[in-house]
Amino acid sequence: MPVREREDMPPVTLYLLHALGASSGSFDRVAAHLDARVRVEGIDLPGFGALADAPDSSLETTVDHVVAHLARHARGRWMLGGHSMGGKITALVAARILRGDAPLSGLSGLVLMAPSPPRPEPMDEERRARMLSWAADGSLSEQDAETFIDQNTAEPLSPDAHREALADLQRTSPSAWRAWLETGSRVDASAEVGMLDLPVLVLAGTDDDDLGAAAQPGLLASVYPRARFVALDDTGHVIPLERASEAADAIARFVDDEVLLGPVVPDDWAALIAGDRVDARVRGVLNRRAVPDDRGYAPEVLDVAQLTLLREIADLVVPQDGPAIDLAARVDAQLARGEGDGWRNADLPPDPEAYRAGLDTLAAVWPTDPAERGEVLRAAIDGTTDATGPLDATRLKAWLEDARNDLVRQWLAHPASMARVGYDGFATGGSPLRGYVEVRLGRREDWEPAGVGGTVATGDAA
Amino acid sequence: MNIERMQTFDTAETVDVVVVGTGAGGAPLTAELARRGLSVVALEAGRHFALDDLTPDETDAVEINWMSERLSGGDDPTAFGPNNSGRGVGGSMLHWGAFTPRPDRRDLALRTETGEGRDWPVDPDELLSYVERVEGDIGVSGPTPYPWDPSRTYAYGPARRNAPANLVARGCDALGVRWADAPAAVLTRARLQDHHGERGACVNCGECHQGCRTDAKASTANTYLPAAVAAGAEIRAEAMVHGIELDARGRVAAVVYRQDGVDVRQRCRSLVLAGGGVETPRLLLHTGLANDNGQVGRNFLAHGATQVWGRFDEPVRGHRGYPSSLISEDMMRPADADFAGGYLVQSLGVMPLTFSTTLVRGGGLWGRELMQRLEQARFMAGIGINAECLPSDDNRLTLADETDEFGIPRARVTFTAGENEKALDRHATAFMLRVMEAAGARETMVLARTAHTIGTCRMSADPSDGVVDADGRSHEIPNLWICDNSVFPSAIAANPALTIMALSLRTADRFLAAAA
Repeated sequence: MPVREREDMPPVTLYLLHALGASSGSFDRVAAHLDARVRVEGIDLPGFGALADAPDSSLETTVDHVVAHLARHARGRWMLGGHSMGGKITALVAARILRGDAPLSGLSGLVLMAPSPPRPEPMDEERRARMLSWAADGSLSEQDAETFIDQNTAEPLSPDAHREALADLQRTSPSAWRAWLETGSRVDASAEVGMLDLPVLVLAGTDDDDLGAAAQPGLLASVYPRARFVALDDTGHVIPLERASEAADAIARFVDDEVLLGPVVPDDWAALIAGDRVDARVRGVLNRRAVPDDRGYAPEVLDVAQLTLLREIADLVVPQDGPAIDLAARVDAQLARGEGDGWRNADLPPDPEAYRAGLDTLAAVWPTDPAERGEVLRAAIDGTTDATGPLDATRLKAWLEDARNDLVRQWLAHPASMARVGYDGFATGGSPLRGYVEVRLGRREDWEPAGVGGTVATGDAA
Repeated sequence: MNIERMQTFDTAETVDVVVVGTGAGGAPLTAELARRGLSVVALEAGRHFALDDLTPDETDAVEINWMSERLSGGDDPTAFGPNNSGRGVGGSMLHWGAFTPRPDRRDLALRTETGEGRDWPVDPDELLSYVERVEGDIGVSGPTPYPWDPSRTYAYGPARRNAPANLVARGCDALGVRWADAPAAVLTRARLQDHHGERGACVNCGECHQGCRTDAKASTANTYLPAAVAAGAEIRAEAMVHGIELDARGRVAAVVYRQDGVDVRQRCRSLVLAGGGVETPRLLLHTGLANDNGQVGRNFLAHGATQVWGRFDEPVRGHRGYPSSLISEDMMRPADADFAGGYLVQSLGVMPLTFSTTLVRGGGLWGRELMQRLEQARFMAGIGINAECLPSDDNRLTLADETDEFGIPRARVTFTAGENEKALDRHATAFMLRVMEAAGARETMVLARTAHTIGTCRMSADPSDGVVDADGRSHEIPNLWICDNSVFPSAIAANPALTIMALSLRTADRFLAAAA
């Protein structure tokens, strides 16, 4: 298993994108509360915070800026998230990562606070016009900034938080303010974002309006099928300042429950996946496979008892040291997509039916004591089971050959498994295409992770 | 392939020839008939694949394979899907391994030699002249001189020998077995392909079976099909043929295919089936044609393709480089053989998921042992065979009760290795174990496998003994021809694609001669 750089480092970093008129500092309180559990790093967006002088605050430039920042800094297992406006940027960046269109890997979850959705943000046009008027002649005045804070909070902020929010609003570039209100918030990015199937935490206040707790499921459920919605009582729109402690607790629970699952791709392999030897399509599929499994996965082909049994079989067929991939769930999803290997044993029914019948047959003889399961499975694989059920011993054996094959292929398709077995052939892309220059015994090339084994030939010997 | 400027035919028009399938069987003939002035429409069940559509990812790469389920029975069920079945413009040549041994004259006369199997009703010299023409058309790399055929030359130098090839060579040397760099339809320097453009040189990515992304590997999609289109043929992709209509005289008048969910009828003067050893007989059985003698689907043949893997001290990482870069033909007729025919030997590198499937299905592995082997895989080199297979009454393709997404009954293939196959396999396994041990393997592992879909519509001089005559024309329907590996009277040890293409050019000439 990969070892963290330092044992006292949190296992995961959360990069956060701020709201309109805010800055990376708006997440300092959440960061302090999460402390050793999750490392939080805010990113200033062009036109805001330390980057208030940046000339271009368009959605495209902002997404590029975040991608470039993450490419420089994001290592190991990490999450992305955003508050309000930052939520829409988060969706666009995450979509690029899961499509493979960004030089990034390792994204394991999203944290959204009162996020603006990929679709045009619901916003009262009078309110939009009034807010635009605040920046018509330059930076926001203190009075307008006060009005903004008042309208977006349920209860007064602490004096420090209030002061910081005020300062961030007043240093915001007027053109960045206008770019979001006039364009960014109105862009319909739902097609570009599509559906993002990864762990997602959505925090929303009950006293927020258009982006509040009541509205969020309707705005996001089709975008994030795994979204966990958490409502924060007596909370307005400015969650990181209003409810830093509660937000931090929710994030910590979410990380433990849904993000810190499964194997981590070692850093040198993650860098290879992110790099230009890997084509976007391959990077995308590897990034999607590396997303943590859904602990609450609801099976589509099997029932819950069958899925549980398949998980127990998977533990025996493909024993995984350390954090495990939920191979049984991945096989169920594969069956639901109708994907097989182009043939089946003529004595077996179609795959979904064969799985149900095989599992029901085994269930009748399956021991509750895990120590006894290996022998029962061995007899079934050898065709000598005494189980009687929907499949006889011969068919049970034939089905288990298919099941063993499906399970091991799901394991090996995960980039952490590829790293483990030393397979880096996915990195033969780019333009022009690069294959291998070195194909000899005991040799590797300098771009290959050292873990593949062998030595790098240099000089005349190369 | 210049699809934008491709000539198209109206479906109301009666074209000279409809060809079903665009792989090794259909494409050379399509190009040749179009070049000779016939109006030809080639129908392909799959879609077009541009180079950018191909991916090295094994899971995703199955889009170039025929993944609609087939049923496999018998004592030794043979695997379909990525193992041997393609779908797409280019057919199985999108995923083939590009290993291009020539057919052995002795294999073409197996019955004369041994009393077993069948002779090919084809003049070996004639067939080999077509083989040489194909090699020129598609570009084949290999060693000159070739140890088992000094008269042979290859236009391109051999593919780079990878680690498994060097290890197998070491074992062969120790045993006094001759070996050579393998003939492969993989360019080792760039080539300007007529009507297609530049095909790059091999970059040793090792992903031939996932579809070549540099065009170094020949497929019909970068050779015969662009030539066919340039000569005026039309290729209709995503067109699944499910019906054949006869006229009052019992001759083929039209085919019916489904495209975008709509049934389309294309009238034709002649029909050539080139869907391969599974789809061609399936279509004939489904339509009930050309089968009065009950021969359609019979004599299914699969090459014995057992592998032996050796574990070495240093990383082998055989997924790098052209996978089968060494060949030996020394076992084509071993002196101590207790079987008819022989087998070709090749070195093996492999992709990880393919290897895991062989470990599970061929080695019966699971649990700790499976995981240990996967972890050791990078230290393993393989040696494999392609072995003769004799026809048997019990090995055949029939229709299942279950239907596919087009409402066509699924193919059910029954295959059980006979005594000859078992004797061959015993001999080959012992030989391969000796080679790998002599190469210095710490330990060895035998993994059983079969490959290729051959037979089912065999060519015969005697009309009661097969489906087509020596020209490839149906014994029963005079304007129906078959041109793919289903017509092979015997399996022959050579990997089939090169021979299929040669047969395709020959069938085109026979077709033209018959029409003249």
